Amino acid sequence: MSTAIAEAVRHGRLPGRVWLYSNYHCNLVCTYCLTDSSPKSPRRDLAADRMVDLAAQARDLGFTDLGVTGGEPFLRPDMVDVLLAMAEQLPTVVLSNATLFYGDRLTRVEALAGHPVVIQVSLDYADADDNDARRGDDNHATVVAAISRLVERGIRVRIGTTLDPEVKASDDQQARLCALHRSLGVADEDHVVRPIVRRGRADVADLGVQATVADLPPELTVTADGAWWSPFGPTIRDGVPETDLLITRTTHPLVTPATALLRLINGRPPGDDARLGIR
Amino acid sequence: MSRISVDGRPVALITAAEAPLLARPYFAGGDPGPIVAALAQVPEMLEVAAPFLAVVLGPSAIDMRTKEVVILRTSARASCRYCVEAHTIVALDSGLSTTEVHALRGELDTRGAFPAEEDRAVIAWCDAVVGTGSVDAACRDRLRQGRPDHVVVELTLLATTTLLLNRFCTSLELPTSSEVLARLAAAGMAS
Repeated sequence: MSTAIAEAVRHGRLPGRVWLYSNYHCNLVCTYCLTDSSPKSPRRDLAADRMVDLAAQARDLGFTDLGVTGGEPFLRPDMVDVLLAMAEQLPTVVLSNATLFYGDRLTRVEALAGHPVVIQVSLDYADADDNDARRGDDNHATVVAAISRLVERGIRVRIGTTLDPEVKASDDQQARLCALHRSLGVADEDHVVRPIVRRGRADVADLGVQATVADLPPELTVTADGAWWSPFGPTIRDGVPETDLLITRTTHPLVTPATALLRLINGRPPGDDARLGIR
Repeated sequence: MSRISVDGRPVALITAAEAPLLARPYFAGGDPGPIVAALAQVPEMLEVAAPFLAVVLGPSAIDMRTKEVVILRTSARASCRYCVEAHTIVALDSGLSTTEVHALRGELDTRGAFPAEEDRAVIAWCDAVVGTGSVDAACRDRLRQGRPDHVVVELTLLATTTLLLNRFCTSLELPTSSEVLARLAAAGMAS
């Protein structure tokens, strides 16, 4: 079966990245959060050894990249060690709100420099007021300062911008955001822009685009509760993970959900997930 | 997307809107019933269990009347409210009389309702299978009279699969559909 998965990845039928939700709790309460994360959210941690084991299984199956998301992964004291161990298996991107990179945490994060780990930082608008209305007071200033500190320490940073399609940033605002990230040392190819997806808290707040399974790339995503079609799948509603994009509850061995995902995508026309540009 | 509240049930029953990807085919034809809706919580189990149950409980080499005798009798002996209510209706639809159904449910003497030894041997086998420990050899010998091994095996698989479902439905307190309850009331067989 690993051959079939590797073949599917090689031919572009199956995205090469496997996502792991390290935890669901977060120090922020963003208005459009898919996972309804907050400081009070149940953690739903994936154990560190399980994450590293899944990374090794992903490599053995023929996947090419790893992603870690949450919640805020860096709330976990073991996250840097986990990322270093995962990156020994495959290149890894970790999504972060970048509000914790100072003091001791920043010192620990320095260890990622020189390893195939990219930190993807959320920054939505060039203007602090617009950004902070969605992501919390002082978020813009905190994040911009953190990006500088990370880049200075030789850590590759990507910027993830999530926009409400109903309130699109003006061209001028977008241009200024790009100018900002370039000035911080983040190249254009490391700037990802996608719409808010109407799931979890975003759905409750009436924000974002409706995305069906056909709109979402089939990126195998593992959480403490199961394996999903996409990192946009294991969203939280009324305190419970939504099941409509669930693949299997079994996540170990990884071949079980990977095989099921492969069965689901067989026969799916290539490119039919590109309509909404959700990445 | 709305979530159906658990309403105090032991587990939430998955709705069509919530159906996981592997479970979606089972919801395509409408409400699949509470067993599938519960199993959909674990889709990789559903996609194995549902075809298995369909083969064991569905049309096969054994006639449907005999199969319903096994299912209803086993369910009644296992005191499974959900299965007894659902299969009371299926048994009536399969040609069993009201008297026979009452007897299988333990509400009448089976000897009067089932004069044929062929039926009585099946009923006795169900009663033996539901018990604990070793199964009465005399009951087994009685069942084997005139029946080839494959029929004995299938009847036993049917009774034991029914037992599995009985404990599953009872443990999770699965609800009987309003349609079944209405038909039971109309037939004077409500619990």
